[in-house]
Amino acid sequence: MLPAKGCEKEVKHVTRIIRDAIAYLLIVGFCILMLTWAIPTYTPAYPGYGASPALVPNVAVCVMLFMACLSLIRVGVALCMKKPIVVEESEFPEDLEEDGGFTQVGRVKIVHLVNLMVPCVLLVVAIQYIGYMLASFAFLMVLQYVIGSRKWTQSIVVSIILTAVLFIVMRYGFGVPVPGPQIFE
Amino acid sequence: MEMIIAGLLDSISPASLMFVLLGVAVGVLIGAIPGINGPMAIALFIPITYYMTPLTAVGFLVGLNKGAFFGGAVSAVLLRTPGTPEAAATSWDGYPLTQQGKGEKALRMALYSSVAGDFISTIVLILIAAPLAAIALFMGPSEIFALISLALTVIAGIGTTSICRGLIAAGFGILLGLIGTEPVTALPRLTFDVYQLGSGLSLIPVAIGLLAFSEILLQVEKFTVKGGSAQSANKFSSKLEDRLITFKEFFSNIKTLLRGSLIGIGVGAMPGLGAPVASFMSYDQAMKRSKHKKEFGKGRLEGIAASESANSSVVASSLIPLFVLGIPGNLAAAMLMGAFMIHGMQPGPLLFKENAQLMYGIYGSLVLASLFLLVIGRFGLRYFCKAVDIPAMILYPIVIFTCIMGAYLGKSSMFDVGIMLTFGFIGYFMRKFDYSYVAFLIGFILAPEWERSLQQVVIISEHDPFMFIQRPVAMGLMVLTLFVIARTFWCSIGAGRKKKQVEAATAAAGQHKAD
Repeated sequence: MLPAKGCEKEVKHVTRIIRDAIAYLLIVGFCILMLTWAIPTYTPAYPGYGASPALVPNVAVCVMLFMACLSLIRVGVALCMKKPIVVEESEFPEDLEEDGGFTQVGRVKIVHLVNLMVPCVLLVVAIQYIGYMLASFAFLMVLQYVIGSRKWTQSIVVSIILTAVLFIVMRYGFGVPVPGPQIFE
Repeated sequence: MEMIIAGLLDSISPASLMFVLLGVAVGVLIGAIPGINGPMAIALFIPITYYMTPLTAVGFLVGLNKGAFFGGAVSAVLLRTPGTPEAAATSWDGYPLTQQGKGEKALRMALYSSVAGDFISTIVLILIAAPLAAIALFMGPSEIFALISLALTVIAGIGTTSICRGLIAAGFGILLGLIGTEPVTALPRLTFDVYQLGSGLSLIPVAIGLLAFSEILLQVEKFTVKGGSAQSANKFSSKLEDRLITFKEFFSNIKTLLRGSLIGIGVGAMPGLGAPVASFMSYDQAMKRSKHKKEFGKGRLEGIAASESANSSVVASSLIPLFVLGIPGNLAAAMLMGAFMIHGMQPGPLLFKENAQLMYGIYGSLVLASLFLLVIGRFGLRYFCKAVDIPAMILYPIVIFTCIMGAYLGKSSMFDVGIMLTFGFIGYFMRKFDYSYVAFLIGFILAPEWERSLQQVVIISEHDPFMFIQRPVAMGLMVLTLFVIARTFWCSIGAGRKKKQVEAATAAAGQHKAD
């Protein structure tokens, strides 16, 4: 990454190849955990006929482990020998000058992710205490604000309409109980 | 014969007709919104189909998928922002026409090509699926196990640049697909003592999270980081010749259209290739064989006909491996497979034996969906074009809230909402890190069947280590699986080397020029 004009220090970002290496290491760790603890502990004992219940999970995890190790070796060799691997796998599309096309590969925007996930998680918790109506209305207001809407009237109208429409569809259309305590009952 | 008539009569019952029509209309509307595609729409609407009969549910979802495929062309033609990769080739000639005020003409060509491709493909599906399924009935557990292994290997390459990451994703999908009750002992496996996991992870929250929620997380990110997308050019000329497609124009493209349909049928019937391959291949062939090569990319109707006929014919032909072998060839077929399973049917050769009337009903719905697409597109085109103008600030909260409530709807459980959010989070990282969520999802869906067939093979063969060698078809399929893996690795190494050589040569040439 080139530093922006006027910046005294170049901001160091994690390169894609390093990020991928970290991801492979995490996968290797996950696989070892599955093979040594999770699968032996949470799989029924072999009943004496057929294949062992642990066979297919073990095969799936071993495939993951083998592929992650293989990729890790490839990345390790590329880093140690200072030999670049193909551009598509070593650079982020946003750093390349050409259009990324349909690829969604790129840097993780943690702040953006937190901004969107936190209201969703809070909705799941809040809906069980304050009920569907209030929680959904508040959730939609917050969500529209996070996405960038500053038109309060529009936000209120959208929130009320959507909450009401889904309430009617669930309650009277499908006969499904709406989650949490209901303020109108 | 009675079954066929009864099935076809079922498909023209008022409820079935209404839901197919509704599916097509909603599909076109949703497909027209940039960023929302067919499989995502199916994932969002599957929870609603819990409350329908199997025929209306499948008819509605098939209509939705067909509508969404055509809808993808709307944003591609009007905004040059194709919501899906398969619509990209449509935008190459569609958008220049929009700039000339001929957007409606381009969309009409896209509509007629889509309907023609889809119709031809549906007829081929009807003619060959049942006879092929009759042959597939001779397959035993060894062949099914080997076939699923091959399908998983082929599919691992979809949606990623690395076969290693594809196989990691498929392995992860299989692992999570095995959570729940183990088939032989009937005891819980990998549930971590969470009682809600006793029946396994439900497909609906997993699919909504991976397909819809994670996609919206990325769309919102793009929107908030880069700002709003360009608004519709939407310059529709009032001149009739700029709006309508004449018979002469349509028939001058009939050869391209038929070729595109055949390419789409061939590509769709093979698991793992998908609509983008068909679309680009057909466009390339049309350009090579055209007398007006230089006009391609500047607003040639032939280009739209080639792309749209090919990508729409994939919709029905991708159902061939699903109906015949029970193996989904692409994401939309995988979602439809999930819908079949929710309604108590196992896709595969037995489907025609056990649910013959329903299958003929589905065939009827498939044909009707094509006709409805023509009618809805013909008369509602201008209204559907307005979908591209829905403000993102209103659209995204609606989709996110629908994802949450859709996940809740299946079992009326907030636990499923938690699963949906978790898989949305996982899906976001899978997309960012280039791990194929398609391979994951197909692995997740096929894992129980894969294990069941393995258990059957082991029990029947009494632990014979040479069980696959004794069955020539199974052995052939296993050899083919190994060959596919070896070839993919070899090609990826070869492509890397070739690319490096090209880059080195380009750099050297640039240096030489600078000197």
